[in-house]
Amino acid sequence: MAEPSRYSAFPAAFTIAFAIAYAIAVDRNLALFTYHPAIGEWGLGVQAPMDGPAMYWYGWLATAGLTALFTGLAACLVPHRAPRFLNHWVWVVPVGALLFFAWLLRGFFFR
Amino acid sequence: MTIFLLILHGLLAVALLGAITHQAIAAWFPAGQSADSFVDRARRVSAPAYTGAIVVLYLLTMALGAFIYAEYRVSIRIVLEQLEARAVNGSFELKEHFAAIGLGMLPAYWFYWRRPLNPGHARIRAALTLVLAFIVWWAFLVGHVVNNIRGFEA
Repeated sequence: MAEPSRYSAFPAAFTIAFAIAYAIAVDRNLALFTYHPAIGEWGLGVQAPMDGPAMYWYGWLATAGLTALFTGLAACLVPHRAPRFLNHWVWVVPVGALLFFAWLLRGFFFR
Repeated sequence: MTIFLLILHGLLAVALLGAITHQAIAAWFPAGQSADSFVDRARRVSAPAYTGAIVVLYLLTMALGAFIYAEYRVSIRIVLEQLEARAVNGSFELKEHFAAIGLGMLPAYWFYWRRPLNPGHARIRAALTLVLAFIVWWAFLVGHVVNNIRGFEA
């Protein structure tokens, strides 16, 4: 079995950070940019709807992706203990995020 | 054009569904050597062999979905709201968030399925695959139902 490299921590750290950052980005509406599909325009940050709905999903993905990227790179700086610790959480945190969204959107299903 | 992309999105999703389901079955219920039945053969597939295809299919399916999502937001969702189909709308909202979480899982999923497989990571691999399979199944079924209710230009 190959020795874990200094980058072994990146994938798990990225996954965990992405799930957390995405949940926070959606909950607090921290979109990096906004898309206005009716007029086909993009805008930086969170913008109010213009001539139709505003879409923040792409911006939430970007916010979470950048956060996860930097977190993953930071995790590579602590190569020895991080992978083992992250192994325990790498699937638990995404499951927690799924449950969080089920709770967040419960209003659609229960009045 | 949107209809063509929607159909392509659906076809890619079918391929992804098949691949992730086979891998999940093989990861959770591996068969022994004497596998003769249909179910046993499904359990005996080489689970790691699906990893690359699953990552690529997930990215392609998601990219296409993200592209046609804008059309859905303008043309379909508003109609669903007028129909007061709250559960359908909610299910689609969950789909977009679940798919995003799945996207973020891909680096770890790929890493833990890398060959040579680390025997100590078997449970993590199985868990990640099961979560990803759940996301793919959810997205597929919800997309199918929404399309049945209100396909593009219906």
